[in-house]
Amino acid sequence: MSKKINLLFLLCNVLLPFFSLAQFTISGTVTDATNNPLPGVSVIHLNSFVATSTDANGKFSLVIPKKTGTLEFTYVGLARQTVPVVEVGESFVIKMKEDVGKLDEIVVTGLASSVRRSNLGNAVSTITSKQLVGTTVQPTMDAALYGKFTGSNISANSGAPGGGISIKLRGITSLVANSQPLFIVDGVYYDNSSINPGLNSISKAAGQGNTNFQDNPSNRIADLDPEDIDRIEILKGASAAAIYGSRAAAGVVLITTKRGRSGKPRIELSHSIGVQMQLKKLGQRQWTEDKVLASYGASAVPLFRGANGQIFDYEKELFGNKGLMNNTRVSISGGNENTTYYAGFTRKDDEGIVKRTGYKKTSVRLNLDQKVTSFIDANFSANYVTSNADRGFFNNDNTSTTLGVSFVSTPSWVNLYPDANGNYPNNPFAPSNFIQTRDLMTNREHVDRILLGGTATWKIFNFSKNSLRLIARAGMDNYTLNTIAIFPRELQFEKDGNGTNGASIYGTTLDKSTNFGGILVHNFKLSGNLEFTTQAGLTSENLDQDNVVNTATQLIGTQTNLNQASAIEVQQTKTIQKDRGFFVQEEMNYRDLVLLTLGMRGDKSSRNGDANKLYYYPKGALAINLHKLSTWNASTLSQLKLRAAYGESGNFAPFGAIYSPLVSAVFGGSTGSLITTTRGNEALVPERQKELEGGFDIGAFNNRVSLEATYYRKTVQDLIFNVAVATSSGFSFAWKNVAAIRNQGVELALNATPVLNKDLQWNFTVAFWKNKAKVTRLDVPAFNTGAFGATLGTYRIEKDKSPTQIVGIGGPSDKVDPQSGVAVYGDGEPDFNLSSYQDLVYKNFELSVLMHWKKGGDNINLSTLLSDIFGTSPDYDAMTLDPAKQLTNGKFRLAALGTTARPWVEDASYFRVRELGLTYRIPKHVFKNIADVKVGVSARNLINIFNYSSYDPEVSNFGSNAISSNVEVTPYPSSKSFHFTLTVNF
Amino acid sequence: MKIFLIKNRMIIRLVFLVILIYSCKVEPIQDPNNPSPSAIAAKGTLSEIQNLVDGTESGIRINMNFYYDDVSVIGREYYRFSTSDPRFTSDLLGKGTAQLDSNTFYITNPFAARYRAIKNANILIDALTNTKAPITSEQRKAGIAYAKTVQAYQYLLISNLLYNNGLRVDVKDPDHLGPFLSREQGIDAIINLLNEANTDLKNNLVEFPFHTTLYSQKAAEFSKFNRALAARVYIYKQDWMAANTALQESFLDLNGDLNAGVYHMYSIAGGDLLNAMYFPPNSSGETRVVQPRFITDAEAGDKRVINKTLLRTSEAFQDDLKSNYDFFLYKSNIDPIPIIRNEELILIYAEVKAQTNDPAEANKAINKIRSAAGLGPYAGGNDTNSLITEILKQRRYSLFGEGHRWIDLRRYNLLNQLPIDRPGDDVWIQFPIPANE
Repeated sequence: MSKKINLLFLLCNVLLPFFSLAQFTISGTVTDATNNPLPGVSVIHLNSFVATSTDANGKFSLVIPKKTGTLEFTYVGLARQTVPVVEVGESFVIKMKEDVGKLDEIVVTGLASSVRRSNLGNAVSTITSKQLVGTTVQPTMDAALYGKFTGSNISANSGAPGGGISIKLRGITSLVANSQPLFIVDGVYYDNSSINPGLNSISKAAGQGNTNFQDNPSNRIADLDPEDIDRIEILKGASAAAIYGSRAAAGVVLITTKRGRSGKPRIELSHSIGVQMQLKKLGQRQWTEDKVLASYGASAVPLFRGANGQIFDYEKELFGNKGLMNNTRVSISGGNENTTYYAGFTRKDDEGIVKRTGYKKTSVRLNLDQKVTSFIDANFSANYVTSNADRGFFNNDNTSTTLGVSFVSTPSWVNLYPDANGNYPNNPFAPSNFIQTRDLMTNREHVDRILLGGTATWKIFNFSKNSLRLIARAGMDNYTLNTIAIFPRELQFEKDGNGTNGASIYGTTLDKSTNFGGILVHNFKLSGNLEFTTQAGLTSENLDQDNVVNTATQLIGTQTNLNQASAIEVQQTKTIQKDRGFFVQEEMNYRDLVLLTLGMRGDKSSRNGDANKLYYYPKGALAINLHKLSTWNASTLSQLKLRAAYGESGNFAPFGAIYSPLVSAVFGGSTGSLITTTRGNEALVPERQKELEGGFDIGAFNNRVSLEATYYRKTVQDLIFNVAVATSSGFSFAWKNVAAIRNQGVELALNATPVLNKDLQWNFTVAFWKNKAKVTRLDVPAFNTGAFGATLGTYRIEKDKSPTQIVGIGGPSDKVDPQSGVAVYGDGEPDFNLSSYQDLVYKNFELSVLMHWKKGGDNINLSTLLSDIFGTSPDYDAMTLDPAKQLTNGKFRLAALGTTARPWVEDASYFRVRELGLTYRIPKHVFKNIADVKVGVSARNLINIFNYSSYDPEVSNFGSNAISSNVEVTPYPSSKSFHFTLTVNF
Repeated sequence: MKIFLIKNRMIIRLVFLVILIYSCKVEPIQDPNNPSPSAIAAKGTLSEIQNLVDGTESGIRINMNFYYDDVSVIGREYYRFSTSDPRFTSDLLGKGTAQLDSNTFYITNPFAARYRAIKNANILIDALTNTKAPITSEQRKAGIAYAKTVQAYQYLLISNLLYNNGLRVDVKDPDHLGPFLSREQGIDAIINLLNEANTDLKNNLVEFPFHTTLYSQKAAEFSKFNRALAARVYIYKQDWMAANTALQESFLDLNGDLNAGVYHMYSIAGGDLLNAMYFPPNSSGETRVVQPRFITDAEAGDKRVINKTLLRTSEAFQDDLKSNYDFFLYKSNIDPIPIIRNEELILIYAEVKAQTNDPAEANKAINKIRSAAGLGPYAGGNDTNSLITEILKQRRYSLFGEGHRWIDLRRYNLLNQLPIDRPGDDVWIQFPIPANE
């Protein structure tokens, strides 16, 4: 790469003599609607692209080559203003107004260019800092995205502290490869791995029924502090994300963090204190001696009698912790015309609803912007995060050791509490005592992460009609993740030959990603009507991840060091990837009336069988602003834009799919090499997504009301799957490109500002989105995948059916397909989503509410099955299910086991008031105009309505798995929380 | 026009950039987690070759329990009871309308594992052919001959299961697999492979350039294992003369230890395989119990019955089948499992002699076996038929559970002699070719 950059510099040096000198100086002041000077407004002379921003007093001064053309004033959240240079006099003052229709919002469209939303050919969703964290305190960055934009299906994998969120943009985009979007923070590729801590050696969850690990790790985007974020843009499909090429098939989330503005230092201090609690309590089964006899047999009856009617509320014991949440936030920003800075510090300390679980995070950020010379700008971002997530021990197991499984195995009249000497009794109904496990075990993820990014922009020349910039960008993301799982030897399932006499599982993951880019941007104006922006660049991304998990067993006493054990097993997994790419893009703007973008990316990667083959990803977008026609009557319809876009993007095969390695085979005292059972495929091509979208934007009443409507149709071709092959080849499976999925959907977003006056402002957004997926190609026979087999409900990949259809065995009353032997019971995909964000400002009060309705979408709920099997279901004795009114619910469901999978497939619809916040801004004069003080109360998940029989329909035993994410097995329950926040601005 | 000049300049730059990216090579990354077979096949070191040998010897054990269960259950030697899988007692015994399925573990697992070992041995052959390590050409030949001998054994096991359904021999290129040959062609291919290997083993005085647990380090000695297998294949082919020659060159020893031979080894080392043919005595759920006729058909005082079975404390019962005796050939989960041993060679010798009109030698061999089992000398007729009946009986008891009974009766067309436990049960002749083929 360095060779390439050098060549670029050489190229640019040749062009340096074209650099021109400026000749005229203009100056003025910018104010807000209430005539207060507005610092940090960017001012640009559109004809020469000379730019500056206003100082602390709202003043600007600009040296331009010719005293003609137009000045443009922009400020985030305010409407763009343009003024002919000739009108700029001695005491020029310009007033900025609110951008009610968000039309002037700047949206990134290339790797180095952006356009105003009104000129955008794609439906790109954006989330501002205010929407992200303005209403309530957010546990993690990804959790803050729920319901805030169209086209997404976001779901928490569990309620465990520290995150773990699955994001699907516009439907299913892969079967086994990556299904999560690419995150880019200030130009730095941000690793979002989920790394297993190795709990499987205790839970043995993988093996019987499903070979996937079910360790419930968090995903690493959780490390990013939501408070630092200024803006998020979500490129949901290939039509918008094609420029990110082979990593963009699952969409791209572009995150821009806050930056300083020139002016005197602005200091923001805030502290929030809150409490979280279990979102929904299920209750416990009421017991009688007869029921004990029926459920556990005669041997349990003396135990029940011995309890003397004493009942323990174990749901309260295990999930009843009122978790205290503290969030402290300090930020300082400011600067002068040449240097601006932003520094942010966050300290978060959240206790979970299960004792000894919680999430602590400290994040420090420094963003610097520096004008090096009149023609070179540089910016720099640095972020350090350290966090500890204590996540408890939940989800599926085959050893009845997780807190969740042990909890549902235990009737409420068994005493599991330790005696006065701290000795815990053995659980007579399960191999583990969950109170003992909770009190003694550790499952911690500890992260230290450094993110560095920088961009330098060199304005190579700047003529009146054309200009050329070179942008060089570098980013580095480096983290160490330590996973620490300790199961002391006195645990019921570790001692007395029940286990391995303790286990200490210590994992270390070193992750280093770097990315570099060099981009040339050329602007060219033809007679003021036609404008071209051409950009071309080279990119390079590298990933190096090294994961080592040590499992030490047979621990010595209470020791947890790896060498204080008499058996140790080590597993090391490396992931190395190098990508190189180039892209070119041409944007054409004819009087803001017709906007055309064409682009192409070419990518090569060591992940492909042929590391040097270039894969090309084209894109094109067209927007026509009919309201810009000279004949347009703007009296009611202030905006009417038609747009269409097409793009392609790629997705790599799972790491290792190109290799057919020798695996280790232990033989006596030595270790041999034996050919693997899955044949790698060097001819594998990346999965390719082709997306076409079209839509229109309508604005009315000066854009006080606007509607954005989009239809998309994307096909993902060459989907990769591990297919069974002729085993006489020596292999049982081989990686192949075998399937295609088509997603079609509609997205509608209505924005309105019904009231806008001095005392009262009311804004709202209502969004509706719906996606329908279908398997359109399948070169192998239809097959079941995910979850735990057809008896309990599984997913089935079948041509012309939804890829997330849930099937299972069935009885006479089910519609069993004679060919496949299974009946369809549901689909993981929701029918539609509807969300509403309301923001009401009345004088010094502000109320904001985010509501979200997910209609449809089914889960496979096996928590119910387990609690039925162990006789502890709260509704075990109710009589609501059996149409014949013969069997109790528990017995009715159990009678179906082995006959039909119907009882375990449940509708996972929900309606939630996700966020609710009320703030009061104390009038400035109270604090003598020194400080601006806000107090607020807020809540997350305050109201939850669903007909789902477990804690929360939003759950995934298999983490961010592409297909089988909607499966529940005794998870860490979700929580709701309340917060009080005090914010002081100086 | 200036505009177009500038445009052209941009285009030139873009072209230049594209050239740059083409010149920016991405070095392919080798699998960072595992060794690559193609790299080792191209220029493997001696230690990598050793790894392949160990891997192969580990691999030839994988799923052999299914092979032994297939042959022994169909051969009515023992029942395989399993609460988690009813197909051992339904499909394998042909219960009611149950058929052998082409896509079920009992055929797919052992079939795939054998071809996996063959594949591994092919990589070993390539590695030995191409290695730059300092080995003599005699060692190179010997090593390759070792690999071919192992492959021939794997092919034989597959042929035993598929029988008249044939055998796929050419599997070198996974993208262009050869055809399924007929059974006879398959057997000939196995013999050719053994003979080809033996040419390089016999009279070859070197040691292998690696360590093996199979029979011997010395090529010339290893040849005796190769010939033992050849003798077994020749009697399947009813080529008694060739079998006789092979026997003479094998490790046959009429006066030697009956258990001398070649074995699969097991250990409790972390990650190693255990002998899956072992279940603790009196197991319920997962167990192997003796087909009752094995006990009742035995001559009184046959030590082999006592040594290989164990009276259970309670009768095992499943799927209308029952037995009071555990299959107890192996006394622990690390007992070795024989590939071929002297006792079988003596019985092959007896069979060859019986078939070639040498009843005296046949009697001598039979009586070696009988006396070792604590039985008196053979008193039956000396015609070929009587001798063969006796030899098949001795094979039944001497090689109990080692994968022979079904094959023996099949090659003498006597499968109808096998007991039918339940009305409607079937005795299968062969397994179907796995569905994925």
